[in-house]
Amino acid sequence: MAVIDLSKLPFPDNDLEKFLDSVCETHELDFAAYAGMNPVTQTVHGFVNYPQEWQTHYVNQNYVNRDPTLLLAKRSIAPVDWQRLRQEPSFDMVFSDAHDFGISDQGLTIPVRGPFGDIGLFSVTRKCSAHDWALLKAKILGDLQQAAVHLHDHVIQSEALSSVLGPPALSAREIEILQWTAAGKSQQDTADILSISHRTIEVHLRSAREKLGALTTAQAIGRAISRGLIYPA
Amino acid sequence: MIIVIDGLNRHRYDRLLDEMFALRARVFGERLGWDVNITNGREIDQFDTLDPAYVIGVDDDGQVVSCVRALQTTGPHMLSEVFHEILDGDAPLRSATLWESTRFCVDTETLNHGKSRNSVSYATCELMIGSLEYAKNSGISDIVTVIDPIMNRVLKRSDCAPYDYIGKTTPMGKVSAMAALLDCTDERINRLRAFAGITDDVFVSAERAEQLSDQSDQFALSHNLFGLGTETRASLYAR
Repeated sequence: MAVIDLSKLPFPDNDLEKFLDSVCETHELDFAAYAGMNPVTQTVHGFVNYPQEWQTHYVNQNYVNRDPTLLLAKRSIAPVDWQRLRQEPSFDMVFSDAHDFGISDQGLTIPVRGPFGDIGLFSVTRKCSAHDWALLKAKILGDLQQAAVHLHDHVIQSEALSSVLGPPALSAREIEILQWTAAGKSQQDTADILSISHRTIEVHLRSAREKLGALTTAQAIGRAISRGLIYPA
Repeated sequence: MIIVIDGLNRHRYDRLLDEMFALRARVFGERLGWDVNITNGREIDQFDTLDPAYVIGVDDDGQVVSCVRALQTTGPHMLSEVFHEILDGDAPLRSATLWESTRFCVDTETLNHGKSRNSVSYATCELMIGSLEYAKNSGISDIVTVIDPIMNRVLKRSDCAPYDYIGKTTPMGKVSAMAALLDCTDERINRLRAFAGITDDVFVSAERAEQLSDQSDQFALSHNLFGLGTETRASLYAR
């Protein structure tokens, strides 16, 4: 499998490396890495903010074909704490080396499954006590899940093949809720108008935002209007 | 107790998975009459090849009494691929923090009624608590679950009523199916725990998980000693 460095590819509106940096800064993490596996082209897209020396070593040692945080974690649907991979022989091999480069073996990988059989793996690491790690994890896991899917969808959609297949369609309910939001209604107003719970509004809005590749509702409204999914109000 | 089996550890739990597929065949094939594929008394479909996570309830003897299957909604799952009728042609929800749960069932033949540890009610609540906690601990906020009206009533009775439904209730075999929304919040989990009187950790310990694995399966060994279940074991070991 070939490794493609996304930082060398042009991304018009988004700088993916900056995105990793901002995730680390926001969530008190040391490093973050993304690897996307495309089943059609059989390639791995790598994108990390690890020190350059470790990246070079990792590629030279061909760890992409042995690293359990990629190869095993992709079979889970839940985030895999690296603690669970410790008994694997390949874990010691990769992480005794990583240690020499100042990289902690305390971390987790979030597997993302896409609609085309594509898989994304978003890993983060943090050197701290096990107690602090458990607390941090519980606090940031939901946000990390969303960051992982955002990153993965962005990478997959930027590929020629997937952009032809198009982004996932919005449901009638999602469009309806975006339309009321564009008309200036609050989530509670919209819930009252549609006679559904506040939580239902939220679950649809979150789904709509992610389908549109938007990080905020305002951004989602903008994209929905520009795609002609809703009317400007 | 609850054990989670996924793509990382499933090679160690052939017996539990086999019992789970047999339970699903009895429930979805026979009792509910859904249009499912059953081979050699086991109900297995295309989504079982996608490395889903199974949340499985086992009794004190180590036998499977309940199970449910979870998949991410960002990738292929049942509502996006096969339950079109429920969504009435509409697009499914897709979110990083929303999981889909399907094939939720408990063994109503071996469990009794009432609220004791060996009752249908207890097993249902324990499985619900296990799956909600597993999702919550994974950073998941909500679950969309495909259930039949009986399970819907059980959820309501257990103080765990869905907060909404997606699409419409759709005929499927002897009963119908619907897609319900559940939040994975402490409030919901606490209500369920209070209803069932479950205060302890519902997940098996590392030691118990080891005992339940195929390598040191004491339940299977003792049954073989007495000449019970040899047919099942033989077919398992032959693979």
